[in-house]
Amino acid sequence: MIKMEKTSFDQEKLKTELLTINMGPQHPATHGVLRVEIKTDSEIVAEATPYLGYLHRCMEKHTEHLDYRGVIPFCDRMDYLAAMNAELGWVLTVEKMLGTEVPERAQTLRIMIAELQRIASHLMFFGTYAIDLGAFSPFLYAFQDREFILRLFEELSGARLLYNYIWLGGVWNDINDEQLSRLENWLPELEENIKKYHALVGENKIFIGRTANVSIVSKEMAFDYGATGPVLRGSGVDWDLRKKRPYAGYEKYDFDVIKGEGLKGTLGDCWDRYYVRMMEMHESIKIIKQCLAGIEEGPVMGKVSKIVKPPKGEIYLRTECPRGELGYHLVSDGTKNPYRVKVKSSCFTHTSMLPDMAPGLMIADFVAAIGSIDIVLGEVDR
Amino acid sequence: MSIVTEQKLTFTGYFRNIWTAVRTTFKGMMITFKYVYGVKSVTVEYPEVKEVLPENSRSRLYNDVENCISCMQCATACPVDCIYIAAVKRDKDSPALKTTSGNPIRLDLTQYTIDTALCCYCGLCTTVCPTECLTHTTDYEFAQFTLDEMKYDYLAADVRAWRTRVVKGA
Repeated sequence: MIKMEKTSFDQEKLKTELLTINMGPQHPATHGVLRVEIKTDSEIVAEATPYLGYLHRCMEKHTEHLDYRGVIPFCDRMDYLAAMNAELGWVLTVEKMLGTEVPERAQTLRIMIAELQRIASHLMFFGTYAIDLGAFSPFLYAFQDREFILRLFEELSGARLLYNYIWLGGVWNDINDEQLSRLENWLPELEENIKKYHALVGENKIFIGRTANVSIVSKEMAFDYGATGPVLRGSGVDWDLRKKRPYAGYEKYDFDVIKGEGLKGTLGDCWDRYYVRMMEMHESIKIIKQCLAGIEEGPVMGKVSKIVKPPKGEIYLRTECPRGELGYHLVSDGTKNPYRVKVKSSCFTHTSMLPDMAPGLMIADFVAAIGSIDIVLGEVDR
Repeated sequence: MSIVTEQKLTFTGYFRNIWTAVRTTFKGMMITFKYVYGVKSVTVEYPEVKEVLPENSRSRLYNDVENCISCMQCATACPVDCIYIAAVKRDKDSPALKTTSGNPIRLDLTQYTIDTALCCYCGLCTTVCPTECLTHTTDYEFAQFTLDEMKYDYLAADVRAWRTRVVKGA
């Protein structure tokens, strides 16, 4: 019999160190070119540092050399999954400075388009989030519905992704009756589909196991970082700019603000953020139905002078985009170019929350955390 | 921080978990199964079947140089400055030219080049064009091997020959 020598194994004296790994910039789970440097303790994330700037295009500096109409295509390219909402924010900012009156039909059309874009963006979130967590077919279902919206936008504006549709004083093209009735007929189908998707993914035990109680953003943490949009509402805060600070005529429409309730786990976890987005689509459908009922005949372009010269001064205006609040701070010196434009992006705020959300998560759960804040890197870097 | 102490797994809880997992997965599979038959396809088998884009789709730019009055408005409106125009004054004794809409042409166009590789397809140049000679066509197949080939000289004969192919109602 071999005599085993007792080893002097002492766990406290054992030297351990954290392993540094790079996630990105071409990691498929990061939704773009986000690079995160993670320090891991076996498979547990101890530290995560996001690095930005891979999609930086100097949008703010570019605007100083463009006229006010020329900025709109650049706004599209910030948040390329919700371009209509991004350009709506800019147009409202300039219009408020100019004091332009927008025709009734254009106002209704703008809200309808913005809500359709919100649905398209949330469908994209739904699809990619399911892919992040290992389910492929929801992505294809979501794209089927998104295709209808993109096709409608293509007929209206001429482009599928970067529209340049909402202009100073109104919108570019009018919508015709055929398109309106097509949209009206499609809405019940979409409502059914969204319910189906929620049953397919959101109620699934595996999905709940992957997202509930993962990466909790408490109410205090959301306030501390200045989180907005579905991330803030997922933490149980009843805050929606469309309701609290109505812009572009949102006060005329009746809808509810969805907030997380901690149905499947703790309040503010990944599942709650998912839930807020899925339920928000139903609210958007509600708004679109009211728009369809109340749309009036009339012109879609108001009177705006050919060369836009806002008065001297500055303005800050924020709108509720699918990802959170998008604010434009515009300083005008009275010439035809903006003096300075600063964009406050919610995606940037949410990315800065990652170091605080990550510690204690598995790497696979960290992917779920990145997916649940739904960032678009074009808006983070601008 | 995001650490939650999970509840201790009980004996009944173990089986309840299995039951909910089976039930919800079955429900999801039933939804997926409905997509096997009877759902109309949305994909287009591209090179064989070509999708017809909507009328006002914004694709390759085409300038009908016979109608261009060299007003430079498109170059001014362009946010990425990809339109290069040069024009000289017409001689007084040369025959008077007019566009199809009746505008007199007072300048001779010597260069009209668009760098399509820079173009962002925003459509601002087409909306300011007074004679509506600069239009977006619905032609979307124009990949090239070099960047230089993306520069279209609309005065060149081979580019002018597109007119019959790409301009609506030509």
